Amino acid sequence: MDRRQLFTAAALGVIGATAIGSLDPAEAFAKPKWDVDPGAPDPNFVEGVVNTIADGQLFVKGSDGVFNRVQVTGATSIWKLTPTTFDKVEVGDGLYARGVRMPDGLLAAESLWVNIVNLDVHISSISKDRMALDHAGSPVMGYVVPGITATVYNGTPAISDMSLLQVGKHVQVIGAWRPGTNEIDIATVYAAV
Amino acid sequence: MVAVRGEMSWFCCGNAWGPCGSTGHGACGTCNSGSRQHAWPNASAACLSITNPAACGLSLTRRTCGFRHRTTNLCNGAAVTTSIADCGPRTRSFCGERTCCGATCASNRLIDLTPSAYSVIASLSTGLRPVSVDVG
Repeated sequence: MDRRQLFTAAALGVIGATAIGSLDPAEAFAKPKWDVDPGAPDPNFVEGVVNTIADGQLFVKGSDGVFNRVQVTGATSIWKLTPTTFDKVEVGDGLYARGVRMPDGLLAAESLWVNIVNLDVHISSISKDRMALDHAGSPVMGYVVPGITATVYNGTPAISDMSLLQVGKHVQVIGAWRPGTNEIDIATVYAAV
Repeated sequence: MVAVRGEMSWFCCGNAWGPCGSTGHGACGTCNSGSRQHAWPNASAACLSITNPAACGLSLTRRTCGFRHRTTNLCNGAAVTTSIADCGPRTRSFCGERTCCGATCASNRLIDLTPSAYSVIASLSTGLRPVSVDVG
């Protein structure tokens, strides 16, 4: 049994036969019938904003207006600024999810990335607890989170020292968006120095 | 084309939430975060003038919208095939930058994948990975 099958089994164990309707376990354990064509939408991936949370399921409204149900299990890895747990996911959060699409349309999530952003920005200003960023002409405020925010200089191990960052320089920032704002909490800054 | 080594990252495009909300559908007009696509630094002459990988000593073949590349994550060997949907990354802004997994390293921004594609071969929280890119 490979990882995909193990994961699907976990999903089935949590949600049970009644919750997934007429799902044939053999279908759930089957390998994908086809891979995704380059350029095509990925059926095993969901993007959108959390609309409702109930019974371990997220009802996600895609940015294209399509609704998806996402099942979280004990085997699902969840990231929200750091690796975290399902109870930290909130209505209004944005997310990306990868998993296994069940025959009834449910996505059994292998991984959830909540509010994650990856921004290519210029540094407008730096202070001890925040960085003002310019993202394609739009201002974004990035907050330094003590004990979490780290900087990677040219592939060296991540460190908390941000002293080599310079105003006006180009950096890449992985962070967690604060919903409804132009603000993020900074996880990692990647800088070429 | 001989496989090229470099850094891979990810970018959002199409309809999106948060700071990604204003990104649009990319230079090819087809880009969506949920599709298996990527950005390439030499997708057109105009694109090349922005990304300028030559400034970092990188010579990349012109590949236009829809062209397929296969990207292999050098950290775990996982690969994904995607098609060009946008111009990027801006290689010149990160000249000399290096990303490593243990002793396996690659330098310079080579390709950006959509979240859908990137998450097939790496966690989105990694942000950067060393990869090799070949014709898909």
